[in-house]
Amino acid sequence: MTSSRNPSRDLVAFAGAASTGFQAQNTEQSQVELALRACIAVLKQCGLRASDIDGICGTSTPEARRIQSGLGIDELTWFANPVMPMVNPVAAAVGAVAAGLCDVVLCYHAAYRLPWNTASSLKDPYRATGQATGAGMPQPETMAGAVGYAGWASRYIYEFNAPREHFGYVALNSRHNAIDNPLAAMREPMTMDDYLAARMIRSPLCLLDMDVPVDGADAFVITTTERARDLPNRPVLVNAVSLGMADQNEEDQSRSLERNGQHVVIESLKAKGDFWIDDIDLYFPYDGFTIITLNWIENAGFCGRGEAGVFLAENRDYESGQIMINGRVPVNSHGGALSEGGTQGSGHIREAILQLQGLAGDRQVRGPERALVTAGGFFMNAQGLLLRIE
Amino acid sequence: MVLDISDEELVVRFRGHPIDRDNAEHYRGRLERQLRINRCKDCGTWNHPPIPTCPACWSLNVEAAPVSGNGTIYLVVFLHQGPPAEGVDYSVPYPVVTVELDEKVRFTSTIVGANNDEIEIGKRVSLDWIERTATPLPVFRLQTSEKSE
Repeated sequence: MTSSRNPSRDLVAFAGAASTGFQAQNTEQSQVELALRACIAVLKQCGLRASDIDGICGTSTPEARRIQSGLGIDELTWFANPVMPMVNPVAAAVGAVAAGLCDVVLCYHAAYRLPWNTASSLKDPYRATGQATGAGMPQPETMAGAVGYAGWASRYIYEFNAPREHFGYVALNSRHNAIDNPLAAMREPMTMDDYLAARMIRSPLCLLDMDVPVDGADAFVITTTERARDLPNRPVLVNAVSLGMADQNEEDQSRSLERNGQHVVIESLKAKGDFWIDDIDLYFPYDGFTIITLNWIENAGFCGRGEAGVFLAENRDYESGQIMINGRVPVNSHGGALSEGGTQGSGHIREAILQLQGLAGDRQVRGPERALVTAGGFFMNAQGLLLRIE
Repeated sequence: MVLDISDEELVVRFRGHPIDRDNAEHYRGRLERQLRINRCKDCGTWNHPPIPTCPACWSLNVEAAPVSGNGTIYLVVFLHQGPPAEGVDYSVPYPVVTVELDEKVRFTSTIVGANNDEIEIGKRVSLDWIERTATPLPVFRLQTSEKSE
């Protein structure tokens, strides 16, 4: 049963968002340095000093205490490090501000190339340390983690007879949008032929169906809407936030394509929020794997089950590959996880904020007022945000 | 019948597997080439992966019980690369399948004795066993009958 109770509606806001930008190679920076650089950028953008911050909340690493140490923040009354993806720390921060545990939260995610997402990170001795070296290595016979998305892609193809081009539409849109994004890691144009010729990694998913491991960080300031109004940037109000999980949340046990965490998120956002897909100007469906995006589009209600590919074909520019829903609503205008970089949704949220604030540079959409972010995948990490300006 | 093997020996035999107190009986079953899945002794619900409760009735009276090993392929992936494992080189993409067992619980492993183009969702499979690092590994083999759905 989905509750519509939402006492924090529009009372908590993003005051700013900033990024280091992303690179698909091992940088000379540590993960904590990347996080600190993004945090400093957003604090300067918002005109805030260390003493203004009384809450810190980021994804698991680096820990909040490292950020406090690095920025010399006098004292915190609240901090937390929820797991990825990015709506987890955002939801925690919104709740903490709404409840009065703190007033101004510095929120961050630092994407970092490590052995779990790219073997080439092993070339950097500082990244290779502390990683499992045999005893803890997984066996191949599992659907856990990334493999599960390939497994459910096979199920989607089986149930709906979807051709590979339907997945390719997602990849091409992300790449097209990344070309105009100076923060993005992958900005070379891509064609459908490129997509179809890409190396298979976990069939039916190829290299270009998967997000790109990057170094880089995003940071945000979350505070009361009232306080945000006194800061330099336009407040972006959190109208609703949801972390959805359905029973049987293991990758291979998930009930079906008709019953997983995405459905919980959609029903929750619809119950708690004040607007839905007909009212939005920006849409950010997570694209860590192309199969996730196809399902978000269907589950959000843009089209019926198994129809995402046809829907995208009808709402995309054949030449550029760019998707514009009803000719108006861009999808992952920053290039998504597939081409900006695998940010666990922090890039999607940052872009939504910058667009709503009118700060999205060459990618700026004219006068957007409302955005929907549906982040995360199917199993233990589906999540969503409804954002708006006043 | 539980093989007489200590917890310490079990962990050593299954080096590389995430052995813990809750799944130890499943792994002990493997040493006897018996695929054991958790079943509630009160309400009969099957559940995997192992957890000490029955999610249907909250009973803690859960045991690792043998399954038939017959089922239907539900998910299929072919790994063109993956973690190192004895007998797996990925030069031919390595199949990983999630099988919906006839007990209505799913188990993930590989398929042996089939060409990759024969391995499809909906096909019936049976349990078989191979050895990896001198330890039994439950796998599936295509049944000769045609698609069930």
